[in-house]
Amino acid sequence: MTVSFKIPELLTRDLRLRLPRMDDFETYAAFRGSQRSATVGGPFSVEQAFGSLAEIIGQWQLRGYGRWLVADRASDEPLGIIGHYHPMDWPEVEIGWSLFNQAEGRGVATQAAKAVRQYTHETLKWAPIASLITDENTRSRALAERLGCSPEDTFAHPTFGALRIWRHPMGQDDVLEAVQ
Amino acid sequence: MSARLIDMPTLETERLILRGPKLEDYAAWETFMASPRAQYVGGPVGQHEAWRAFGHLVGLWALRGHGAFIITQKGNDQGLGTVGPWLPIDWPEPEIGWTCWEPRLEGTGMMYEASRAALDYVFHTLKWETAVSYIDPENPRSVALAKRLGAHHDTKAKGPHPDDHVYRHAVPERLI
Repeated sequence: MTVSFKIPELLTRDLRLRLPRMDDFETYAAFRGSQRSATVGGPFSVEQAFGSLAEIIGQWQLRGYGRWLVADRASDEPLGIIGHYHPMDWPEVEIGWSLFNQAEGRGVATQAAKAVRQYTHETLKWAPIASLITDENTRSRALAERLGCSPEDTFAHPTFGALRIWRHPMGQDDVLEAVQ
Repeated sequence: MSARLIDMPTLETERLILRGPKLEDYAAWETFMASPRAQYVGGPVGQHEAWRAFGHLVGLWALRGHGAFIITQKGNDQGLGTVGPWLPIDWPEPEIGWTCWEPRLEGTGMMYEASRAALDYVFHTLKWETAVSYIDPENPRSVALAKRLGAHHDTKAKGPHPDDHVYRHAVPERLI
């Protein structure tokens, strides 16, 4: 007996959302080692960053859904991580995102988040999904607001503190060109 | 083209089935990782760290092409421990690692049976040329298991942590 599966790839005009690979690790470790990742549990040592990248892939195997590596559709350059994050200690599955250091200011996060949201609604047919964001994470909060999310209560996490639940509007996105 | 994760083989021994990890194993893993039994593998840790560590264990299969098996007894799919290839980013060389979640396995020879199968797998199927186990010298059960497997304490090799002892496994004769 073998266990195997495929994960769907999401294509938008500029982006390909695909499974992370070993050759994405250098970029991921640079992000995870930087102060940019302080709002998402970092900064991480190289060892922790590797565990974290492996965890992204592992959750696909464990839950059947997970987070993608956001790559530039033309060059395959890794730009960030986005998708369905659902560790055991979360109150519900969320759309989590991280943008790597060099991908800022290109509309990448907005396009990728809309792609995941459209896929969540049209393919997975899930109820309106949330994103969990600390109030201090002003960049992510601004993205949630740009995406039309509504703030709800906070969830008190024993390590990360108060995480605000931002509820996404569903059914309004039109950025997916293909799901493969 | 869609991405595709690695196939996870299943190994069978006299009494055991070694299979790929799955979500149903997580609860027992979390209990183990929260307990003093996890003291030699980075524990005890809380739920978030336990989940990350389990995801890491699963994801290594895709990143490396091999990873840790879940130990089960034939006829009962309940996970009892892990055994198999272990190669995080900071490991000097490929390891055969193991964790025993259930005290009742101790003294049954089942950890030996499982790790023997894992060694056969890495030497015969994965074609490894050498394999080590990194063991805290304060962990007498693991030291005893390594010795029973025929491994010797390689004092020249370095482990990922300063206090680790490196036990180098004997390569099967027909591969030398």
